[in-house]
Amino acid sequence: MKTKQEDLIRYKDGNLYCELADIWIDPRTPVKRALITHAHFDHFTFGCEEYFSTKETAILLKERVGENIKIKTFDYGDGFKINGINISFHPSGHILGSSQIRFIFAEEKWLISGDFKLQEDETCKQYEIVKTDYLISECTFGLPIFKWDETTKIANDISRWITNSPEKTSLLFCYSLGKAQRLLNEISQTNFKGDIYSHGSIYKMNNCYKKLGINIKDTIKIENKKKIDELKGSLILLPPSLSKESYLKNFKNIQTAFASGWMSIRALRKRSGYDKGFAISDHADWDGILEVVKKSEAKNIFFHHGDSEALSKYLVEKESINVLFFQ
Amino acid sequence: MSLKNFSELFVDLDSSNSTNNKIEVLKNYFLSNKAIDNSWTISLLTGKSNKRFISGRYLKNLFSQIYEYPQWLIDTCYLKVGDSAEVITLLLKNKSTSRNKKLSNISLNELLSKIIPDLSKLNDEEKIFEIKNIWETLPEDNHLIFNKVLTGTFRVGVSIGLITKSISKLTSIDEEIISHRLMGNFEPSIDSYEFLINKNINPEELNSKPFPFLLANTFEDKIFKHSINDFQFEWKYDGIRIQLIKRSGNCSLWTRGQELVNESFPELVQRMSYIKDDFVLDGELLVWNYKEQIAFDFPFLQKRINRKSPPRSIQIKYPIIFIAYDLLEINGRDIRQIKLENRRIELEKYFSKWSNKTENNITDIFRICDLIYPNDWTDALTFKEKSRENNTEGLIIKNKNSPYTSGRKKGIWWKYKVDPMQLDAVLIYAKGGSGRRAGLYTDYSFALWKDQQLIKFASAYSGLTNTEIKELDKWIRKNTIEKFGPVRSLKPEMVFEISFEKIQISKRHKSGIAVRFPRITKWRKDKKIKDADSLENAYELMKKIS
Repeated sequence: MKTKQEDLIRYKDGNLYCELADIWIDPRTPVKRALITHAHFDHFTFGCEEYFSTKETAILLKERVGENIKIKTFDYGDGFKINGINISFHPSGHILGSSQIRFIFAEEKWLISGDFKLQEDETCKQYEIVKTDYLISECTFGLPIFKWDETTKIANDISRWITNSPEKTSLLFCYSLGKAQRLLNEISQTNFKGDIYSHGSIYKMNNCYKKLGINIKDTIKIENKKKIDELKGSLILLPPSLSKESYLKNFKNIQTAFASGWMSIRALRKRSGYDKGFAISDHADWDGILEVVKKSEAKNIFFHHGDSEALSKYLVEKESINVLFFQ
Repeated sequence: MSLKNFSELFVDLDSSNSTNNKIEVLKNYFLSNKAIDNSWTISLLTGKSNKRFISGRYLKNLFSQIYEYPQWLIDTCYLKVGDSAEVITLLLKNKSTSRNKKLSNISLNELLSKIIPDLSKLNDEEKIFEIKNIWETLPEDNHLIFNKVLTGTFRVGVSIGLITKSISKLTSIDEEIISHRLMGNFEPSIDSYEFLINKNINPEELNSKPFPFLLANTFEDKIFKHSINDFQFEWKYDGIRIQLIKRSGNCSLWTRGQELVNESFPELVQRMSYIKDDFVLDGELLVWNYKEQIAFDFPFLQKRINRKSPPRSIQIKYPIIFIAYDLLEINGRDIRQIKLENRRIELEKYFSKWSNKTENNITDIFRICDLIYPNDWTDALTFKEKSRENNTEGLIIKNKNSPYTSGRKKGIWWKYKVDPMQLDAVLIYAKGGSGRRAGLYTDYSFALWKDQQLIKFASAYSGLTNTEIKELDKWIRKNTIEKFGPVRSLKPEMVFEISFEKIQISKRHKSGIAVRFPRITKWRKDKKIKDADSLENAYELMKKIS
């Protein structure tokens, strides 16, 4: 058994790093070579010399930060070789273009899960089980109180929430990349047939998805000076950063909701300041993480992103799986 | 069906911040459900039946035993959720796989009058079996309600005022009548609901019930414009507000929270029964320092409130007094519509008759409040500043021409507290201290209510004694919901009196206000979080000062 110093991938300065390939995964400070699992801003930073990602992630990144980055792109299942290490990208089901990244070196397999979910989502490729020896998994929702409902149930709840208040304008806050498009896709299949507006940041991402061949319902770009009557009974998608009085005063007679996995807990729902919460997430729930851990056949697991204490203890005690901790 | 309806009602009420919306939702619910279920609904929503059948801890143990689930994992989840009933509800989402939902169609009444009370008759082993059975045959949407009722923790942001308004809207009966009918005990039954919505109003129907209380508003500057002679001035005591009712010879003590507290204060009930007349008095109950003729602090009173049938020794150690300030009914005659000035004359007249004509002396335990006679408003302010000397909180100012109405109507009574720069706030975050205070949680953030939510309004570090800091630190560790680095978010449970020097509008803060030099001046263990102040109170305070 290897000692920790020899691990192929380790934590360095708060980021995942493979020394042998001199390559970083989702670094938050500028480095020479950066692998990007997906195009959310907390997984990306400016100023790296060279980026590597899936094709879709590259297009989304460029849309968000500009064309001026040097980026090598790959299809799912493909990859490249560097210093004898094979690196490849595999679907993680989180958002369009999101990937797990596998390293193979001298018969030893390492898999970085990236952010992932197992639930079906027509706006991105379904999570693919990848076998590995070492698994580095996210565990944002690493407690058994997190158990996602069927997406169609949540979509129908949202639809009812809007149609039950026809006199109001319904503001649904959600992340502008990924969650917004997934919601649009799901809501368009419910009984709600009214107008859907979206904020510029979401509108931009919708167009990106469409260009990449994802079927997204058309929305109207929201302008500041809309007449109240026009918005009555309709749905507006907004990024969470706009959930503040100065912006909300543009509207009258509104109801607000937030779509996030955290909304499954009443105390967080109450504290969030939104009228309502819809518990829908692009991360795996407890069962999802356990399933991936088992199906990956990994003998050794690392967790990052989230409080992994309970999950680690559970795996060691109940499943006799070896959980390791980064130094 | 009705349990499903009730679960939906709970979700609707829980996710609405609009009063009108809630009233509408309630009205429609009452319209479409049976009298008996409506009756239980009212009883649950107003907290009149929140008996605890099993403790939260026991519920967690049960789940752990039934599903061989590690206790530590449940406890870890609890830290995140902060409510046993909800933790178990969330964990059950993984467990209840039975297709046989034989309880899909039960009513709220069946659940509350049969299924749950029947559980209490079982021994531990049978209980485990039965609760498992209920969990697995009850539709998932109803688990939270079941677990909450079981643990006596059912709460939702609905005040009795909202229920009153919705029933009034439903029946077109005056709110005052509905509010009066809802006072005191409310036995969930078909009769109690039909009584509530009965359009024929019988004057004697409310014999056993107290009147809806008249509440004071916070003092407003515009009152200075009025002549001082328009008002009656009293000291504001910090006791328990009581309606002392003697009808048909029976005496009862009702708190503002509509609890009958006869058993805690038997000596008062006994002594007041000596009076020959029937009456309803409004006043304050206090623990009295006879030597100095002032009230003891509120904590003394707490020694009495929670203790039923106190022994003689406790009665002597914490002697109580009832100070009446209003007469609402005399020998069956409702005089609430008479103006205050004249009610006071009646009160004085009867008090003097009772003190002289009652065989046993009653005046050591029962008095009427002294009035204060300021010459002008400046003089009134001087009185207010002096209120600390006689251990009162300030002044109560009452419009002499006003009738006794229900609720917090404007322009009738005002409270004018000695230190207006104070709010009772709920502790929601704690942060580790540094230096001498390292290792202890000593930096606190406090919140005020806005609609049904707690909004952070100030942080304070000083004001607690070292013993209190240690005690609070222990509590914080046990009641953490979430950790963000050095900061913990806490279960909203603790209320503190926060004093400050200045209050102003601030765009930078979510609450919209900023206060200067906030400090903790009292740990209000006697208060529940629902008693804490609202942001509205803070705005009023600000208006008053500017």
